[in-house]
Amino acid sequence: MVSKLKIMLIAFALSFTATHAGADGVKVGFIGSLSSDAGRSALRGAQIAIDELNAAGGFNGKPIEYVQADTGEDVTEGIKAYEYLAETEEVDFILSGSIDDVSLGWMPRMKEYRIPTLDTWTSYIGIIDMIIEDYEGMETYFMNVASDEALATLYVDFGKDILAKKMGWDSVVVLQEDTAFGGAINGLVSQLLAPEAGIEIVDTIVYDIATVDFAPIFSRAVDTGADFIYIISSVNSQVVSSQYSKLQVPKAMTGVNVAALGQEYWEDTGGAGGGISTLSPVPSVGFALDPASAKFAETYAKRYGSSRPKFPHFNGFNAYWGVKQAFAAAEDAGGFSADKWPKEMLKQDIKLEKDGELWLRYAFWQPGEVEERTGRTYPHNIKFDITPPYDNGAPAMVVIQWYEDGTTAVIYPPKYATGEFSVPSWVK
Amino acid sequence: MTGISWRHVALWAVFIIFMLLLPEMVSKGTLRTVIFANFLAIFAISWDVISGRTGYISFGHPFLIGIGAYTTAILSYRFGMPVGLSIPLAVCVTMVAGTLFFLPALRVKGSYFALVTLAFMELMYQLVQVIRPDLTGGTRGMSGVTTLARGAVNNYYLSFGLMIVIAVSMWVLMKTRFGTALSAIGMNEESVRGSGLSTTRLKLFAFMVSAMVAGLGGAFYVHYLGSIAPRALFDINFVFTIIVAVLIGGASTIVGPMLGAFFLTFLLEYLRPYLPGAERYFIYGSIALVIYMYQPKGLYEIVMQQWRKYRVVKAGET
Amino acid sequence: MIQILIQGLLLSGLYALIAVGFTLIFSVGRVLNLAYASYLMVGGYIYFYVVQTQGMPKIVGMVVAVLMGCLMGMLMYRAMVKPLKGDHVAVEISTLILAVVIQAGIVLLFNDSAKILHPILPGVWHVGGATVTLNILTATVVSWLILGGLYWFVRKTHTGRAMQAVSMDAKGATVCGVDADRINLITWGISGGLGALAGVFFASYTQLSPNMWVTPLIIAVAVVIVGGIGSIVGTLIVAHIIGFMEIISTTLIAAELRGVFTMLLIIGVLIISPKGLFGREELG
Repeated sequence: MVSKLKIMLIAFALSFTATHAGADGVKVGFIGSLSSDAGRSALRGAQIAIDELNAAGGFNGKPIEYVQADTGEDVTEGIKAYEYLAETEEVDFILSGSIDDVSLGWMPRMKEYRIPTLDTWTSYIGIIDMIIEDYEGMETYFMNVASDEALATLYVDFGKDILAKKMGWDSVVVLQEDTAFGGAINGLVSQLLAPEAGIEIVDTIVYDIATVDFAPIFSRAVDTGADFIYIISSVNSQVVSSQYSKLQVPKAMTGVNVAALGQEYWEDTGGAGGGISTLSPVPSVGFALDPASAKFAETYAKRYGSSRPKFPHFNGFNAYWGVKQAFAAAEDAGGFSADKWPKEMLKQDIKLEKDGELWLRYAFWQPGEVEERTGRTYPHNIKFDITPPYDNGAPAMVVIQWYEDGTTAVIYPPKYATGEFSVPSWVK
Repeated sequence: MTGISWRHVALWAVFIIFMLLLPEMVSKGTLRTVIFANFLAIFAISWDVISGRTGYISFGHPFLIGIGAYTTAILSYRFGMPVGLSIPLAVCVTMVAGTLFFLPALRVKGSYFALVTLAFMELMYQLVQVIRPDLTGGTRGMSGVTTLARGAVNNYYLSFGLMIVIAVSMWVLMKTRFGTALSAIGMNEESVRGSGLSTTRLKLFAFMVSAMVAGLGGAFYVHYLGSIAPRALFDINFVFTIIVAVLIGGASTIVGPMLGAFFLTFLLEYLRPYLPGAERYFIYGSIALVIYMYQPKGLYEIVMQQWRKYRVVKAGET
Repeated sequence: MIQILIQGLLLSGLYALIAVGFTLIFSVGRVLNLAYASYLMVGGYIYFYVVQTQGMPKIVGMVVAVLMGCLMGMLMYRAMVKPLKGDHVAVEISTLILAVVIQAGIVLLFNDSAKILHPILPGVWHVGGATVTLNILTATVVSWLILGGLYWFVRKTHTGRAMQAVSMDAKGATVCGVDADRINLITWGISGGLGALAGVFFASYTQLSPNMWVTPLIIAVAVVIVGGIGSIVGTLIVAHIIGFMEIISTTLIAAELRGVFTMLLIIGVLIISPKGLFGREELG
C-alpha cells in the first residue's frame, strides 16, 4: 500500500515537469488569439521572420524556437498564456498580437518577469503613459504601432484637408461606441476638430456595443442636420457598417471602423460594406508597398494564401519587422537580457524606401524625446510622423476608402493616396 | 458538532502537507496553474454554499466576486488605500451586496432565480462600463493594481493558504447544524419550514457566508492578477467555469468543488501544448459535458463509488 | 414620434420571434434551455454557409437552417434532456455547457471574426420620416404569422392541445393517454426550428459571430421572465415593451444605457411579481 502510494506520488510529480525542453537556443513566444485575423497576422508575420533568421543560421549558431500561447481574446486566459510562456516554456522574447484589455491584463506579469515584449496590435496611449510613469518597470516593453493619440491627430488633418476644404462640410455628428477606445478617440478628435479643421460637433451619440438595431441611432444622427457622421467603432463594427448600408443612411460616414481594416472585410460583409472610409494604421489595405514589404507580403500570400487572413493585416508587417529588429538588438546586446536588450532595441532603425522616398520606418521614440505637434513624449512607441511631408517616419495612420465595388484605396495623406474620397451612391 | 473524526483530520493534514511540499516537486509553470486552481476552488466553494446546497442556482456569482475585486482595486489603485484596509472593506461591501442580491431570492424560486441572478451580472457588466469610468477604468479596466507577493512560489503559498483556510472553515461550518439545515433546504424547503426553522434566516446567512468568501476570493484574486477588466469578470464563461467546477467535482461537498476546480484548470492548461488554438476550448467543454452527463453528482461521487467497491472487494477477501 | 412607433414595432417583432421558441420549451418542458440561443447561431451560420458560401438560393438556406434547428432540438431532447429525467438544474447546466461547446465549435469552423448576411429582402422603404429595411419588415411579418400560427396550433390542433395538457400537468396528461415523451420531442423540434429561423433573421439584421448567442438569450430570458411562463400573448406584449423601451431609451434618453433598462426591468418585475406580468401555469 505504501509503495503504491509512493509510485503514484512520483508519477504525479513527474507528470508536472515533463514539458520543458533544453533551454540552450533562443525561444520566441507568441501571445494572442489564434483564431482572430489580427492574432494570426502577427503569428504568421513572426513565423516568416524566424524562418528567414533560421535559414541565415539562427541566433548564435542555434536555430530559434517558436512557441505560441492562445489568449482566445480572453483577459484571464491572456494572463495564463503569459505565465505559460514565461515559466513553462521559459521564452526569451515575446511577440504579442493581443487586443487592448488583454495586453493590459498581462502587463503586470511583463513587469514582474521583465521579458522583452513587443506589442503589434494594441495602440492604447495609456500603455505609453505607463512607460513614462514607471520607466524602469516597463523598460522591456515596446509597441510598434502608432498610439491612438497620434492617430487622432492625423485624423484631424484629414478633416481639415478633405472633409472641410474639399467637401465643404462644417458640421459633424459623432457616433461613438461606449468603450474606453471610443472615449479616448472621441475626446481627442472633438477637442481638435473645431479649432483646427473648423468642423463643429453638433451632437455626440454614445451607443452600447451590444446594440442590435441602429435604425433609431441613425435617425437621431440624421435629424441633427450635420453634414456627415463620424463613427468610432472597434467592437462589432460590422453591424454598424452593414446596417448603415442596408438602411441607406443619407449621410456620409467616415471615422474609425476596425472591422474594415482587413482584406477579409469584403467577404465577411458579403459585399454589403461599401461606401465607408476608416482610418487605419500602416501598412493598411490598399496601401502601396515598398519593395521589401511587398516581398514579405508575397511570401505570406504564397504560404498562407489558403486560410484567412489571406493577406496580412498591418500588424503582420509589424510582427515581421519587429522580430527582425528584436534579434538584431539581441545580436548587439549579446542576448535578450532585460538590462541590455532594451537599450539596443531603442537604437534599431529600419527605413523602407519607395521610389527614393522614405515610405515606412521601424524605429522607436527615445525616452524624453518630444514630438513637436503634440508636445509630449512617446517612449518605446514606433517613431511615427504626423507632419507632412512625412520624411521622418511613416504616418501614424492613413485613411482608407472601401468603394461599393469592393476595391480599396488609401485616400489620405496625399503622399500615400491611391484613390479619392467618395460618398456612397445613395447619399445625395 | 458531529461527524468530525480523527480520520478526517488526518486526511486534511496529509493533503495540507502534500500541498506545502508541492513547490519542491513541480515546476514554477505548474505552480502558476495551481494558483489559478486555488482561486477557482475558492469561487467554487463560495458558489456551492448558496447554490450547491440550497438548490438556488446562481448564474450571477461573478457579480459578487466582481464587487469584491473592483472595490479593493478602486480603493487601492485610485485612492492609494493600503491593501490591509481595502481588502476587509471590499469584503464588507460584497457582503452588503450579497444581502441586496438576496432580496429577490426571497421571492423568486427555481429557474427564475437563475435568471434574475444572470440579469444582475449583466447589469453590473453594463454599469461598470458606463458609470464613473474614471474610477472603474471603463471597458479597459485597470492595470497595475498592487500585487501582494512576487514570484510563483510566494503567490502559491498565499493562494493556497487562503484556499485551505476557507475550505477547512467551510467544511467545519457545514458539519454544524447550519450545514445540515442548508442541505435540507435543497431537498425540501417546505419540510424545513415545517420543522420550525426560519428558512429565510438560514438562507440569508448562507448568502452572507457565500458573499464573504466570494468577496475575499475576488479581492485576493485581483491583487494576484494585478489587473482587472469587466470582460474578464462579468462574463458568461466565468460563470460557466465556476458552476462546472462545482458540479463536475460534486456539489454539496467541500472536496468536490476543490477537485472540480483543479481538474478543470489542469485540463485546460494541459491541452495547451497539444491543441494550441480554439480546439482546446471545444475539447475542454466536451469533456466537461460528457463527465457531467455521465455522473451529474460529479467526480467526488465517481471516486467514492470506486472506493466503496474497493471496500466491498476487500471485505470479501478477508 | 411616428418614427419611434415604426422602429419600435419592427424591433419588437424581431424580439418576439427570438423569444417564442424559448417560451415554448419553458412552458411545456418546464426547463430553461440555455442552449436555445445556439439554435439562432447555428441557424444563422448554416444559412450563411449555404447561401453566401455555396451560392444556393435563399429559400434553400432557410429551409436547411430550420431543418437543422429542428434536428438539433430533437437531438438535444433525446440525448440530454430525457436521460436527465426532468432534473431542472442538470438540464440547465448541461445546456449551458453545450452552448459554450457550440460556441467553440463555431470558432473552429468559421473563425472568430464577425460576418454579415445579405438582407433576405433587400431594399428600403421610407415612411413617416423613418427608413425601414424590407429585411426587418419581413422579420416582423414572419414573426406575427408564426405567433398567430402557434397560437392557433396550440389551441386548435390535437397535438397542440396535447402540448397544453403536458404543460399543465405532465403526469395527468400521461394518465389521459397523451404520450408526454412524444409531445416533448415535438416541442423541442419546433423550438429548435423556430430558433434557427429567428437566427437567420436576427443575423441578417445584425451579424454572425461566435458570441452572438448571449444577446438573444438575454432578450429571450427577459421576455419570458417578464411575460410569465407559457403565455404566448404575454410573449408578444412583453417583446413590445422591451422593444419600445429600447427604441425610446436610445432615441430620447441615452443610447449607452440601452441594456441597463432591460436588466432593471427583469429584476424589478421579478421582485414585484415573481410570476411575471402575465404569469400563468399552462401554455396558451
